[in-house]
Amino acid sequence: MELHITNHAAEVPFSFMVQELLTGNIEKSEAKYAVYKKMRGIAAIDLPDIEAAVSLHFGQGTLTIEPGISPDAAIIIRTQAAQVMDLNALNIRWGLPYYFDEAGRKVIGLLFSGKIKIKGLLSHPVLLTRLTIIMSVM
Amino acid sequence: MATHKAFTQEWLDAWKQKIAGSQEYKEIAKEWEGSVGLICNADPSKNIPNPVYLFTDYWHGDVRDFLVCDETKVQTAKFIMTGDYARWKQVAKKELDATKALMQGKLKLKGDLTYVVRNVKTINKVIDLLTEVQTVWPDDV
Repeated sequence: MELHITNHAAEVPFSFMVQELLTGNIEKSEAKYAVYKKMRGIAAIDLPDIEAAVSLHFGQGTLTIEPGISPDAAIIIRTQAAQVMDLNALNIRWGLPYYFDEAGRKVIGLLFSGKIKIKGLLSHPVLLTRLTIIMSVM
Repeated sequence: MATHKAFTQEWLDAWKQKIAGSQEYKEIAKEWEGSVGLICNADPSKNIPNPVYLFTDYWHGDVRDFLVCDETKVQTAKFIMTGDYARWKQVAKKELDATKALMQGKLKLKGDLTYVVRNVKTINKVIDLLTEVQTVWPDDV
């Protein structure tokens, strides 16, 4: 299983956490690896409370992590550091993020309350769903 | 309430007692298995002349060994968290969230990050209980 992940965001410690998390998740799951290989596009994660932002450039089997928010990002997830973990806790059922258990309802609540803001939620649902799948540690 | 000098066996025993006495912890930590080594880097200016090595062990809601140890022992832990004294003190005083500290690189983790993230509630609860231990810090003496 070759993931071809390159981290160009060494100045953002959070980038190493994202890299390690994605590597661990994908390496443990053939299903997640299959999803990863389909991913194409840029997704950014912005955590203003810890002044950390990274952009994930997916290229169908490659990932380059860049510092900051790319102007070309199709998806931007903006939230507090503590809440980004709630996205990682989403369960995957039938190959899709599952929003009908405790973890899922929590994320929905955070979205509706504005504590998690996602640009591209409606315009790039496929990339977002795939990102959620490979970010999930469940 | 008794106070304990940070990083001593008595302090670890008090922390262990807090964890063992927490019903909430037992529920949250049902899935957790494995030891966590804690390393506090030396900081002579804060009265920490040498690195401090702590070994803590957890098993499905129970707590096992909590030991002040040496470097060899700490390296046997399933997970190892390392940080400067000032960071550990902030975490133990609830001035710095451990999760944020990891994301900011203020604390370093060695071990399976996916497992830790999956069990982040357990980590947070253990740290919450540490904040309840009345602590005398080496640089406050």
